[in-house]
Amino acid sequence: MLYEGAVIIKIEDVTFYYESVKVLDGITIEVQRGEFLGLIGPNGSGKTTLLRCISGVLKPRVGVIYVDGQRIDKLKLIEVAQICASVPTELSSEFNLTVSDFVFLGRYPYVKGIWWESKEDEQIVEEVLKTFRIHHLADRKLSEISSGEKQRALLAKAVAQKPKVMLVDEPSAHLDLKYKLEVMEYLKELSRRKITIIAASHDVNLLSKYCDRIIILNSGKIVSFGRPEEVITEELIRKVYGVEATVMRNGNETFVVPKRPLR
Amino acid sequence: MGESIVRQKILRLVMVTVIGLSTLFILFILSLTLGPVEMSFSEALTSLINVLKNGGRVSNINELIVYHIRLPRAICVIGVGIGLSIAGAVMQAIIRNPLVDPYITGVSSGAAFGVCLAMFAGITIVKIPFYTIPLVAFLGALLAFLLTMFLAEASGGMTLSYVLAGVIVGIAFSSFTTIFLVLGGEKLHGALFWLFGSFAYVSWKVVWIIFVPSLSLSIIVLLYARELNVILLGDEQAMQSGLDVHSFKRLMIIITSLLTSVCVAFTGIIGFLGLVVPHIARILMGSDHRILLPTVMLVGANVLMIADILARTVLKPVELPVGAITSLIGVPFFAYLLIKRGKEYVV
Repeated sequence: MLYEGAVIIKIEDVTFYYESVKVLDGITIEVQRGEFLGLIGPNGSGKTTLLRCISGVLKPRVGVIYVDGQRIDKLKLIEVAQICASVPTELSSEFNLTVSDFVFLGRYPYVKGIWWESKEDEQIVEEVLKTFRIHHLADRKLSEISSGEKQRALLAKAVAQKPKVMLVDEPSAHLDLKYKLEVMEYLKELSRRKITIIAASHDVNLLSKYCDRIIILNSGKIVSFGRPEEVITEELIRKVYGVEATVMRNGNETFVVPKRPLR
Repeated sequence: MGESIVRQKILRLVMVTVIGLSTLFILFILSLTLGPVEMSFSEALTSLINVLKNGGRVSNINELIVYHIRLPRAICVIGVGIGLSIAGAVMQAIIRNPLVDPYITGVSSGAAFGVCLAMFAGITIVKIPFYTIPLVAFLGALLAFLLTMFLAEASGGMTLSYVLAGVIVGIAFSSFTTIFLVLGGEKLHGALFWLFGSFAYVSWKVVWIIFVPSLSLSIIVLLYARELNVILLGDEQAMQSGLDVHSFKRLMIIITSLLTSVCVAFTGIIGFLGLVVPHIARILMGSDHRILLPTVMLVGANVLMIADILARTVLKPVELPVGAITSLIGVPFFAYLLIKRGKEYVV
């Protein structure tokens, strides 16, 4: 299922600085179409920065990123938005739009006429609202719904964008156990439909359970890259997180049980 | 969900337009009845219809008054009401701050500076004495805006740089204005009247210079209603949704500053309109700019029309500056909004 050869994202030797601080250091990755890729690493390791580079919001001075065969620095933002959709951890602030207004914004890269969305846009939005079970909230203000519902609205907007790649930052941040699993199941389902998912999270166990491959970042460098059961080891957790942990395996599944922080 | 969401929106838009235009029409005719020569509503209406039918030729005193004195004023009120309100709504959206008004980029202070400087120095442009004040006001506004723009771009071009640069430029020009006012004494009495905003000196000569640019710039803004919705997501998420945030914001700041300068140049500084009207419209119709902006235009025209009618009738025959009236209605209304809806209310 995985290695059908089609590379959707290719990152070549990307180095990124915020002012003079090096945040990404010589990142080189190839991501396959339909792959579910996990990004883990401690705070400040560069996960979010990497996602922002792939979404075209940040422009690295060194290195090249290709999305869907095109150099990202040669694409307009609206063209990138037709390929990559981002799901942020949360809304940047409160605002007064309704849930359906918000999900409709996912159609922005496609609407050709001025002002109104087409019948097709509307169908897509209606379908997505149903998929995420928020259609009954369509007319509610975004500021009035629960954080779990907000998370689903964020995902719904990204899916309405009909992307080939979804960049998800902390998909499970505000969710309870059941919703966490539901969101991950849904992302898995999208990846089966050949939509590539790149998800950054602190939840190592959740990513290990669902991802095809995992990248471990530390201080802007790739420390390890491979299948979860290959890369998640007690030694790695000690090295990257500074935490003593037991890694348990049950068939294909890998669990990290943290013990204590190393001094 | 049932009915199509887009269809529902269009229906709401039509509804708000019909209501807004009807009340505006009534206020418009009402304002034609006001002045030293008393007229009934139907007299004003028939005079207007007759004179328009005859292509501007007047055949009696009522028609003369309506056509040459009161009509240009009413049209300007609509133009300025639309312009200032739209400018306020756009500034609030792109700066994502509900307390922002169209004067945030320093244009009003610059215009006031221009007017006071010209009056203090006794400058009149010989060929066009009548246009001297509007021209210096417009130039002052433009100068202030260019300074703000320069400062903001030099400091990184972030939204906050525009706000801060605008505040600094505004304060600088205001201090000069204060100095001129103190030193100028009697000579600057006329400037005071201009500073508070008034439609008293509007005539056919200036109507089109206010109304046409104000309406056309507002219509340009309307074309960007979807982009203004996207910008509500915040800069980063707007970029990820496909909007070139940086150049869009710059374009909007230029358009709204021009719009504000045009409004201010002829009628002076009318406060509070650009701040309060967008809030009223948002509370009535929500934040989707495709419905919000037309609502803002209609509410702005209606509110300023009411303020102008009050300015002329409250202390008849003395006419108050309309800017004072908008602030007088605006402040308690805004205070009420803050108390009532402050907690739940966001742009």
